[in-house]
Amino acid sequence: MSQPIDVVKQGGRRPSERFNQNKLHNSLKAACLSVRSPEGEAETAAANVCRAVIVWCTERPEITSADVRRVAAHHLQRIHPEAAYMYKHHYLVL
Amino acid sequence: MELLTSLVIVSVAALIHASFQLSISMLTLLSSHTIGSKRSHSHLLRLTNAFVAGVGVMTILLVSFTALVASNVFGTKIPSLAWVVLCGLLFGLGVSVWLFYYRKQGGTSLWVPRDVAKYLHDRTKATKNSGEAFGLGLSSVVAELLFVLAPVAVGAFALVSVPPLWQLVGIALYGLISLLPLLVVNGLIGSGRKLSQIQKWREDNKLFLQFIAGTGLFILGFYLYVAEVLAPVVSASAGSAL
Repeated sequence: MSQPIDVVKQGGRRPSERFNQNKLHNSLKAACLSVRSPEGEAETAAANVCRAVIVWCTERPEITSADVRRVAAHHLQRIHPEAAYMYKHHYLVL
Repeated sequence: MELLTSLVIVSVAALIHASFQLSISMLTLLSSHTIGSKRSHSHLLRLTNAFVAGVGVMTILLVSFTALVASNVFGTKIPSLAWVVLCGLLFGLGVSVWLFYYRKQGGTSLWVPRDVAKYLHDRTKATKNSGEAFGLGLSSVVAELLFVLAPVAVGAFALVSVPPLWQLVGIALYGLISLLPLLVVNGLIGSGRKLSQIQKWREDNKLFLQFIAGTGLFILGFYLYVAEVLAPVVSASAGSAL
């Protein structure tokens, strides 16, 4: 990434923060592991989706956390549909 | 109220209690976070079992406490006015469940205010040992008190008129039946079933579960109104007319 990207969290209700690739990677990997994927497969899926999200956000100086989640879920859906389901619905369980 | 009738009413009230979903949602989330953070299967089982135990203990405490209050206030015979109030509560909650229990968005989001849901979500995520999971189980029942109170009160009212030993049996029966869905989900998680399958089933069938819970409250309210409010009045009128 050439320049730092700000992530607007919860529509501005929480302070913005810099885009953190590790945070995205960990959340994607956790979603894969939660559907009992082997760790290697979870690692690969998370890394691939992270790359796709970084390509998507490279030209954008500011993005929202909802955008990141939506785009990541979209790419994860093609690689691992079950993990994508858990990733998308994580905040809609309660 | 006869013993068998009391136990059947307790069972039906517990079944309605069992159809409420907050504890199951929290158990699913707890499992999701625990598996996602690469903790061992035995650790997962310890947490989920402690959670279920917490839900069971709080449910039994609630029924016992409500029965104690009812027996201290009314004795062994619940007055018709109390049954009328309880039936009104059941009808009102039945309609509320039909209309509001699930939010009109994807997933299995419940009626719970979003701030409370976020707090429960964060607490679930932060739960790492059995004691915390037990406490989380206790709080999940309290968080849904608004809906759970009516079936709990029905169970308690039905139990105050039976002999003490049968009261204990009734409380245990209520606790066991109300825990059945949690025990099933806990068993599925323990046996290695994918959470996505469980969550997908819950989402696909949420309208059916909502309909069953609301209708159950309505039917129980109608039965109690007829059996505990109308029938004594009709019997008394018929007796005085003879």
